[in-house]
Amino acid sequence: MSLLGTRPADVVGARRASAVLPASPGPVSTGTTSTGASSAGAARTTSLRARPGTGPATGRLARARRHPLARPGALVALLVVTVVVAWALVPTAFTSADPITGVPADNLLPPSAAHWFGTDHLGRDLFARTVHGTGLSLQAAAVAIVIALGAGSLLGLVAGFVGGRVDDVLMRLTDVLLAIPGLLLSLAVVTVLGFGTLKVAIAVGVASVATFARVMRAEVLRVRSATYVEAARLAGARRGSVVVRHVVPNAAGPVLALATIELGTVVLAVSALSFLGFGAIPPTPEWGSLVAEGRNYLATAWWYSTLPGLVVAVVVLSAGRLGRAFERGGRTAR
Amino acid sequence: MTSTVDRRRTRYRVLAASLLAPALLLAACSSGSGDPAAGPATSATSTPDTATATPGGTLRFALGASPSGVDPQQVGSNVSIYIARQLADSLTDQDPATGEIVPWLATSWDVSDDLTTFTFHLRDDVTFSDGTPLTATTVKANLDALAGPLGASAPLAASYLGGYTETRVDDEHTVTVVFGAPNAQFLQATSTVSLAILSDATATADPAARLQGEVVGSGPFVLESYTQDQGAVITRRDGYAWASEVSQNQGEAYLDQIDFTVVPESGVRAGGLASDQFDAVGDVLPQDVAQVEGAGGSVLTRTNPGVTFVLQPNVTVAPLDDPDVRQALNVAIDRQQLVDTVLSDAFKPATSVLASTTPGYTDLSDDLAFDAAKAEQLLDGAGWTKGTDGIREKDGAKLSVDVVYAPLFTGSQAVLELAQQQLRAVGVDLVLRQLTPADQQAVLTSGDYDTYYYNVTRADADILRTQFSSAGRNVNKRAADDVLDPLLDSQLATADPAARADLVAQAQQEIVGEALAIPLFELAQSIGVAGDVHGVAFDASSRLLFHDAWIEQP
Repeated sequence: MSLLGTRPADVVGARRASAVLPASPGPVSTGTTSTGASSAGAARTTSLRARPGTGPATGRLARARRHPLARPGALVALLVVTVVVAWALVPTAFTSADPITGVPADNLLPPSAAHWFGTDHLGRDLFARTVHGTGLSLQAAAVAIVIALGAGSLLGLVAGFVGGRVDDVLMRLTDVLLAIPGLLLSLAVVTVLGFGTLKVAIAVGVASVATFARVMRAEVLRVRSATYVEAARLAGARRGSVVVRHVVPNAAGPVLALATIELGTVVLAVSALSFLGFGAIPPTPEWGSLVAEGRNYLATAWWYSTLPGLVVAVVVLSAGRLGRAFERGGRTAR
Repeated sequence: MTSTVDRRRTRYRVLAASLLAPALLLAACSSGSGDPAAGPATSATSTPDTATATPGGTLRFALGASPSGVDPQQVGSNVSIYIARQLADSLTDQDPATGEIVPWLATSWDVSDDLTTFTFHLRDDVTFSDGTPLTATTVKANLDALAGPLGASAPLAASYLGGYTETRVDDEHTVTVVFGAPNAQFLQATSTVSLAILSDATATADPAARLQGEVVGSGPFVLESYTQDQGAVITRRDGYAWASEVSQNQGEAYLDQIDFTVVPESGVRAGGLASDQFDAVGDVLPQDVAQVEGAGGSVLTRTNPGVTFVLQPNVTVAPLDDPDVRQALNVAIDRQQLVDTVLSDAFKPATSVLASTTPGYTDLSDDLAFDAAKAEQLLDGAGWTKGTDGIREKDGAKLSVDVVYAPLFTGSQAVLELAQQQLRAVGVDLVLRQLTPADQQAVLTSGDYDTYYYNVTRADADILRTQFSSAGRNVNKRAADDVLDPLLDSQLATADPAARADLVAQAQQEIVGEALAIPLFELAQSIGVAGDVHGVAFDASSRLLFHDAWIEQP
């Protein structure tokens, strides 16, 4: 879905670049023309190839224009994520309604000017519940990402740098983790840990460790054999300092880009688990549990599950779009 | 333990239903009217419904929650009983209209004046679905097991047998049950599903295996299969001819088969009924009524007798060890709002700790009227002052009360969320702790709760003794006292109905007065049935009976 979403943005971005720079030297216009004509996959390689020929002054401008974040799709995604983060930080700035206490007489009202998302079965404002639920949902996603990133990177680093038996053992372990569907693994972990948002976050984080370990290991293997690392070793640098000063900084880029891409997936997984009833206990609002609570009213109150569900969908798509933009940005910068 | 011969025959019958339908109708009629032992019943009471009843067909029923098993004697939840009740018969039956006890497996009975000796004269033509006959020894085996080893996993049945001394086999079809103390509720208890009579083999079988389906009864249906958390299939018992007079159909059941499927979402159940995936659905909630009726169906309702849905406080731990705090909770709950907002018209606000359909119920609605000001006053007086977040505090401790509940009734969570909102308005924080039924039972034993949310269905006021006596289940965890316990014990020894009702009324006043329970609402069975389904009936305990049910055949 995000792949489909990026294509038009690629094309638009490229066309704008050529329109702004009508008199730019050959390589740039050639590059952008071919970008506009080719598929998204080809666009990436062409624009990379075009870069060395770019003139110094116009090139910087073109690069800024072509920066992945400058594309409209990515801008919208950035806006969505900004708004949602603001919801999480200062929910009261966006809604004055009480997310916990409703007016029972006003239950199951459809969306209106007074209640943008309608009301739930106890007469609570659903928009207020969605906004106030953001903090908990995003917090859980962030904790999950930190766990996955931290543990995964460490495993990948050790496996890639030490190699040999250690590598074999760690990678077979990640194979096992990768063999189990992520949500199933999360379910198993959360069943052991018990209910609660933090526990859901841990469960989701654990399920994503393997992916990060794999990417980190690949990057470490690439960096480890680089000549500057060899040079550092020959110059007498200790292993620890080589790892900290050369390997980690150079391997971190793709892993961090992966983290932003995974963020969307993690938000979805956290919502899925809280949908299944493992998350926050009532009356605390949380995205997944809001969708779950509306299930019994789908036939009579479409807005109950639909609108909070749409918010989750938009945030997941936006996080994915941003992640891809960062990934591309990272490659362009390298 | 279901005989394979029997099963095969049943399946054959299902396949050949269309061919055999006229013959079956004849068989049903003849076994009903031609049986002299059927009691004073009967076919005379047939309504036009039964006159045109067409046998055959499969009824597809959507259950609102997972059954805990299919053993009639061990299960307690309504959804479990929907299945289990069809598999077994009891010694007596209770007329849902009058509350009168009428013959079923026993044709008559004698009760001694001191209420300690009950002699039952059994029918001599009853067989279980494995072919073995019902004898006095079978009844003894059942009651001995329930009063002994099985009692631990069949708490309701065990409570009905309090003071059990022995069962004497007088002759092949006469049996005498002896108690060490008067037991006024026992006759009604023999009509319940908990004291249903199962075959000799089942009586001695492993309790866990019985829950999973190793059950042989004499009921109008036989268990074909049971899959935990998914559902069950039951098929008609051939040759069934010993229905009680409460049943309009005196012969075999009309339906070939009933498929029970667990569908936890009420909206999906209603949608399933509307799109003809189900013929009947349980627990229809207010938002689904329009959909059921719009599809040509109707909603059958009946209030469950027994203890209403209550928050029963553990009086040994703070803050609910203080009667004033408990009393404040009682008047802080707006019961009418609970019913209006999240339940349907079928449900009633609780007006006592007993539901209004229970014999001996007394109206205490004045004591349970919503009065937030009084609640605030009581809490202020008890030293709880409002903190900055609106929740009251005392000596640094928040006025936080937890409630343990199991999702046995679809509407429970919404009810508790609204109760939580009502209590927060007076500064009490109600914390919801959802548990599985098994975990809830374990928590009850450990006492690790502030309030326990449940209901118990029983058409006899003795259920108060079972739940509230310090010697009974004692959900309150209270010590023995000299007011309530004697009341609960003496009603059990009182034969005169008026005198017994008086004692029961006093017990209810004492329970509500001390706020040993915070009644919420009266559970009602709310069953959606499709337009072409007839004869689905409630028994005296508001559980479903399918013996009279039939589906219009094309």
